[in-house]
Amino acid sequence: MSARLGDLVELRLRLGWRRLRGRGGAAEGAAQLVLFALAVPAALVLSAALGLGSWRAARAGGGHASIALGAILFGLWQTWTAVGVTVNERDALDLRRMLAYPVAPGRVYALGLVASLVGDPFSLTWLLLLGGVVAGAAVARPGAWLLLLALALLLFAAATVALVALLQELLARLARRRFAREIALAAGLAGWLALALSGARGAGAVRTAFPALARLRWILYPPALAHAAVTRLFAGEPDRALPWLGLLAVAAVTTGWAAYRVALEAARTGGEAVLPQPRRTRPAAALFPERLGPLFEKEVRQLARHPAVRVFALALPALAALVGWKAPVRLGGDLAPLSQALPLFFLALYVHLGLQAFWVNPLAWERGGARAFYLAPVAPGDVLAAKNLALLACTTLVFLASETAHAAAAGWPEPWAVAGALALELGLAPVLYGLGNLVGVLWPRAAPVGAQRSGAVSPLAALAGMGIASGATLLFALPVMLALVLDRLWTVPVAWGVLAGAGAIAWRLTLPAVGRLLARRREAVLAAVTGDEV
Amino acid sequence: MLAIETRGLTRLFDGKPAVQDLALAVPAGAFYGFLGPNGAGKSTTMRLLTGLLAPTAGEARVLGVDLAASPLAVKAQLGVVPDGLNLFERLTGEEQLRIHGQLYGLPRREAARRAGELLEALELSPDAGKVVQDYSHGMKKKLALGCALIHGPRLLFLDEPFEGIDAVAVSGIRRLLQDLVARRALTIFLTSHVLEVVERLVTHVGIIHRGRLVVQGTLEEVRATGTLEETFIRAVGEARPAPPPLSWLAGPGREGDPEA
Repeated sequence: MSARLGDLVELRLRLGWRRLRGRGGAAEGAAQLVLFALAVPAALVLSAALGLGSWRAARAGGGHASIALGAILFGLWQTWTAVGVTVNERDALDLRRMLAYPVAPGRVYALGLVASLVGDPFSLTWLLLLGGVVAGAAVARPGAWLLLLALALLLFAAATVALVALLQELLARLARRRFAREIALAAGLAGWLALALSGARGAGAVRTAFPALARLRWILYPPALAHAAVTRLFAGEPDRALPWLGLLAVAAVTTGWAAYRVALEAARTGGEAVLPQPRRTRPAAALFPERLGPLFEKEVRQLARHPAVRVFALALPALAALVGWKAPVRLGGDLAPLSQALPLFFLALYVHLGLQAFWVNPLAWERGGARAFYLAPVAPGDVLAAKNLALLACTTLVFLASETAHAAAAGWPEPWAVAGALALELGLAPVLYGLGNLVGVLWPRAAPVGAQRSGAVSPLAALAGMGIASGATLLFALPVMLALVLDRLWTVPVAWGVLAGAGAIAWRLTLPAVGRLLARRREAVLAAVTGDEV
Repeated sequence: MLAIETRGLTRLFDGKPAVQDLALAVPAGAFYGFLGPNGAGKSTTMRLLTGLLAPTAGEARVLGVDLAASPLAVKAQLGVVPDGLNLFERLTGEEQLRIHGQLYGLPRREAARRAGELLEALELSPDAGKVVQDYSHGMKKKLALGCALIHGPRLLFLDEPFEGIDAVAVSGIRRLLQDLVARRALTIFLTSHVLEVVERLVTHVGIIHRGRLVVQGTLEEVRATGTLEETFIRAVGEARPAPPPLSWLAGPGREGDPEA
């Protein structure tokens, strides 16, 4: 006996429908609609632009097509990470839980992957972009070759999802292993040593190294193979495109199968079988008064063991180093002095965006532990304060590691830029966390413990998080504009320091009120986080 | 003195009463068994008495203090093993106990010492370094009991504490609880489906049915007219007839079987 695919789809739809009909479901549904309403028009505009490029490439054919489509696929490749982090809706059909039923686990996994591609506003955006490529080509040069083009782009999307799923499974598995951080650190240091010995620094050296790097693109095969196939299709050589299409299909299937096997093994062994033994650590608790100390210690331990935090802490410094090495920012005119500082400022912002789920939905991973916050004699404000302080410690560490990695690759920036980046990283925290606490109390949601990010917050919280991050970015951008007008860049860290101080005071003053709200909303919070009946 | 006293305690969900006009009276030092069929309102009552739920009407005094007026003062003296447990799944067993103790105001060193003793007493020492997520259900129950005891509470709430625990562990925990009550160290409020276990443990009994308290008294008073099981069945309704056999499992042909 085995369940049909339709049963799984029905299960998924029913779960979604229940959530919409539950408390706050209508608001969540509305927020999801707003997200789609924002994403789809933007995607259509971009899709039209890509369609125009595709139209020109199809009319021109040959070499022109290669350049234009290279740009298109390069653009898609850039968004590849963005697609990747959205691949988590498969958690809605938990493989581990489904093993108890007579359902082929491969079907569950495949359905999760497909759902992740079509059920998320952002991944849907990328699919629409691919649609634009086909539409542009169809207008320019109708014919049977369009079927192959559509197939190539579909295979590209499937291969991307499969590769990202595999990487996520492997990273999550790595992050669960004992000494994973130490091994990663050692690997990072070895990489830096090799980099330093090769002397490959500076734009000239990068240009020299580019042909060698180009060969490495096959590691990220989806854009490389798709590019090879699509270029030949646009050039009017479908027979020469077929081998590349075949390779892409085989690679996608193989990768998807490997991702599934890794996920299945994790599900069968409980997924968390290898975890670190406790170590005698110095009590961070001693730094804080009363109950805040143990709460802070608990939060730090939970964050340090969370796969998403571990993966982020490993990936961001590496990404920062890559950007510093391969893509140094070069601005002209009045903006030239900002060239060195911009990557650092971006890192200071991105470290908060990357861990957004933790400040916009701080209770997401507590499960039954959330009851302890209400059963123990602790002030609810302390619960939120401990979460915020632990997250700030975590983001600051990741930021410092990333900044150091970037500086090691691109050279040390001027002191005002370093001070400014640190002031920005610390200054954004009270603004984001203070408002995030409010969002987290109003629209909490239980989230799966995994390396993925999206799906960890409700649509309402996601929308609010976008608004908070945009508003805070705008607020902190004002001093930069002012400094450029006055030609006094050193004022940027000073102004950000002042904003940070004001933000910290506002956070401290509003914390008790948000804590009281957390206490008043205990039933809704427990219902969302633990599943308690209300 | 009463450890728990409620007056007109009522809780509605979507306008429907889950607990209605409850008048509990639990003497200090009692081992109080709170019984009822599924959905009768046992867990809701416990959540009302521990502050996890707010009452729609009525009041509850716990250890002589109004729960609504001074929740933190009351909570500091309670130990709770709630339905669904209250454990942080990504802490180890040792960290769980110690941090729990610290949350109730114990100094770190003292909390660590007590955590060690509790792990030994609950036979969890070999797994002290594992994260709670990897514990079995029974181990989690024992750990939650340890969390409830670590700060030396005056009143212990236990929601189905023996569910999912093996017989040997049940026996050990039962002895531990009886010893605590015998020394008058604390009052225990316990819910359970297992009448035999309750009958051997408790000094007082309350039976709730459809949200209303239908029986309350000492164990002797409740058993005056029969066994606890007989009283329970009388209080919550007559024994129901056996359901008819299931058609697809009854006959040898097993018609309609998808693999037939």
